[in-house]
Amino acid sequence: MYLDKVQAKKKKHADREGLTGFCLAFIPVLGFCLFGLIPMILAIGMAFMNIRGYSFEGATFVGFGNFKDVLNDSLFWKSIGNTLYMSVSAFINIVLALIVAFLLTKKIKGKKIFRTIYFIPYVCSVVAVTLMWMWIFNNRYGAVNMLIRHFGGEPVNWLNDSKWFIPILILMGVWSGTGYGIILYGAALTNVNSSLYEAAKVDGANSFKSFMHITVPAISPTTFYLLITGIIGALQEFARPQIISATGGPDNTGVTVVFYLYRRAFEYFEMGPASATAWLLAIFILILTVINFAVSKLWVNYD
Amino acid sequence: MTDITENMNNNNAEIAVEPNAEAAAVESNTAQKSKDKKRSGKVNRIIGKVLIYLVLVLFALWILVPFSIVIFTSFKTADEANDPNFSFFPKDWTISGYKDVFTYTGGTEGMPVLLRGFINTLIIVIPPTLLGLFCSAMSAYAFAKLRFKGKNILFSFLLLTMMIPGTVMLTPSFMVYSIIGWVDTPLPLMIPGMFGAATCVFFMRQFYAGIPTSLIEAAKLDGMGYFKIFWKIMVPLSVPALFAQGILGFIGGYNDYFGPLLYLHDPQWYTLQIALNAFKGTYSRNVPAMMAGAVIALIPTLVIYVVAQKYFIEGIATSGMKL
Repeated sequence: MYLDKVQAKKKKHADREGLTGFCLAFIPVLGFCLFGLIPMILAIGMAFMNIRGYSFEGATFVGFGNFKDVLNDSLFWKSIGNTLYMSVSAFINIVLALIVAFLLTKKIKGKKIFRTIYFIPYVCSVVAVTLMWMWIFNNRYGAVNMLIRHFGGEPVNWLNDSKWFIPILILMGVWSGTGYGIILYGAALTNVNSSLYEAAKVDGANSFKSFMHITVPAISPTTFYLLITGIIGALQEFARPQIISATGGPDNTGVTVVFYLYRRAFEYFEMGPASATAWLLAIFILILTVINFAVSKLWVNYD
Repeated sequence: MTDITENMNNNNAEIAVEPNAEAAAVESNTAQKSKDKKRSGKVNRIIGKVLIYLVLVLFALWILVPFSIVIFTSFKTADEANDPNFSFFPKDWTISGYKDVFTYTGGTEGMPVLLRGFINTLIIVIPPTLLGLFCSAMSAYAFAKLRFKGKNILFSFLLLTMMIPGTVMLTPSFMVYSIIGWVDTPLPLMIPGMFGAATCVFFMRQFYAGIPTSLIEAAKLDGMGYFKIFWKIMVPLSVPALFAQGILGFIGGYNDYFGPLLYLHDPQWYTLQIALNAFKGTYSRNVPAMMAGAVIALIPTLVIYVVAQKYFIEGIATSGMKL
C-alpha cells in the first residue's frame, strides 16, 4: 500500500519533470521549426520552380532548369572565383593571429592593452569600417594615395581598378578578423601543458623545434576550428563589397556568390535561380567541410 | 620569433650556471666563457624583447591608425577633407561635421536621420536579445538538468540548425515573410530571435551542466518547482555567462547590415547601419560629416566592449562564438 503510494508519487514527479523539461526546452526548437525548417523545406522546392515575384501563385515546376541557368551564367563562375580569392584573408588571419598570440604569451608589459586594441575591429560595424577604408583608399583625397604622391609614385584608383579591388577586401578582412583568432589562440596557448616544453628542453630541442613540434600540434584543434569557421564565413562574404559598390565593383570583381544570389533574388526578382544558387553554395560549403574534416585526421591532434 | 624564445632559454640556462661559476671564484676558462655568454645572452634578451614590442606595437598601429584617420577627418572642414594635399591632423578643428550629421533630417520634417536610426536599432535589437536570452537559458537548463522524453532528439535537432549556412534560408524566408506581410516591417528581424538561438543554448547548456545537481535536489526538497529553481538558482548563478551572451547578441544585432537591408525599405524604419550606409551618397562632398556619422555609430559598441571586456573575451574564448 505505502510502497504503491511512493511509486505513484515518484511517477507523478517524473511526469512533472518530463513535462516541464520538455516545455522549457521546446521554445528554441519551435522557433527553429517555424523560421528554419519551414523555409528550408520551401528552399528545396523553390530551387526547382519558376516563381514570379515573391508569391507562389502561378509557380511552375522546371526541374533542374534553375540549376542549369545558374551554372551556365558566367557571372556565377566569376563570383565563385572572386569569393575564393577574397577568402585568402582567412588564411592570412590564422597565421598572423598565431604569431601575435604567441608573442603575447611572452613576459611583457601591457599585454592586456595590446589584446584590447587587437580585438577592437571585431566589435565594429561593418558599414562604419568599410566607409573608413573607402576613405583611406579614396582615389583623390585618400591617405594612401597621398603617401604614394609624397614619395613620387603614381596614385592608384584602388576601388575602381579590378586588379586592386579584391586585394583591398583581403586587407580589410585581415584588419577585421585577426583579433578573433588572437583571442582563441590566446586561450589555447595558455592551455598547452608546460611540462612538455621542459621535457623538450631536456631533450635538447631548441625553441623553434619545440614551437613546431609541441605548440603547433597542441593548438591544432583551434587552428582547425578557425580554418572551418573562417572559410565558411569567407564564402558567405557580402556586406563589404556591396557597401563599397552596390553595382558590383569594377568589372563585377566585387560580386561574391551571396552578392550574386542577392542580385538575382532582390534586384531581378528571380527567386528560383537565387534558391538554386543558395543550394549550390551550401553543397560547396558542405563538401569543403567534409574534406576539411577528413584531412584534419592527419594533422589535428586532440590529445 | 625563434630568436626570441631561444634567447630566453639561453638566459634561463645562464642563471643556473652563474652561482656555480662565482662560487669557484677562479679565473678559469669556463668562468670566462660563462661571462661572455652571460653578456651576449643579456644583449640577445634585450634585442628579443625589443623585437617583441616592435611587432606588437606595429600591429597595434595597424589597427589604430585607420581609426585615427577617421577621427581626425571628422574634425576637419569639408573643404580641407576635399583637398588633394591630405594632412593627417586637421588644420582648423571644427565640429561642423558632427553638427551636420546630427541635424540632417533627410529633407523631411521630424527627427534627424541618425537619431531615428539609433532609436530604431534599439527597438529592433533589444527585445529579441533579452527575450531570446531568457528562452535560450531556460532551454539550456532543461537540456542540462532535467530528464524528459525526446531530449536527445530535440538537442540534436537544435545542433543541426547551427550547421546550416544562413544563406540557404535567405530566399525562402523572404518569400514566407512576404506572403504573411512582414516585409517592410521590423518583424522579420525581431520575432525569430525571440525564440532563442541555438548557439546560445549550446553555450549555456555547457555552463549549467557544471552546476552541481545536488543544488537542484536540495531546492526540490525545499518544495521549489522546476521553473522556480531555474529563476531563483540557475539564473543568479549564471549572470556573467548570460551577460556575455547578451552583449554578443546585442552587438551582433546592432551591427547587422544584411537583415535590415533586405527587410526595411522604408526610411522611417532605417536602422543606424542602413542610415550610415546612405550617408555615402548624402555626404559624398561632405566627408567630415560622413566620418562623424561613422564615429558616432562606433561609439556605443566600443564603450560596451571596453566596459564589459572581461565577459566579452571570456564568452568568445570559451564558446568560440562568432558575432
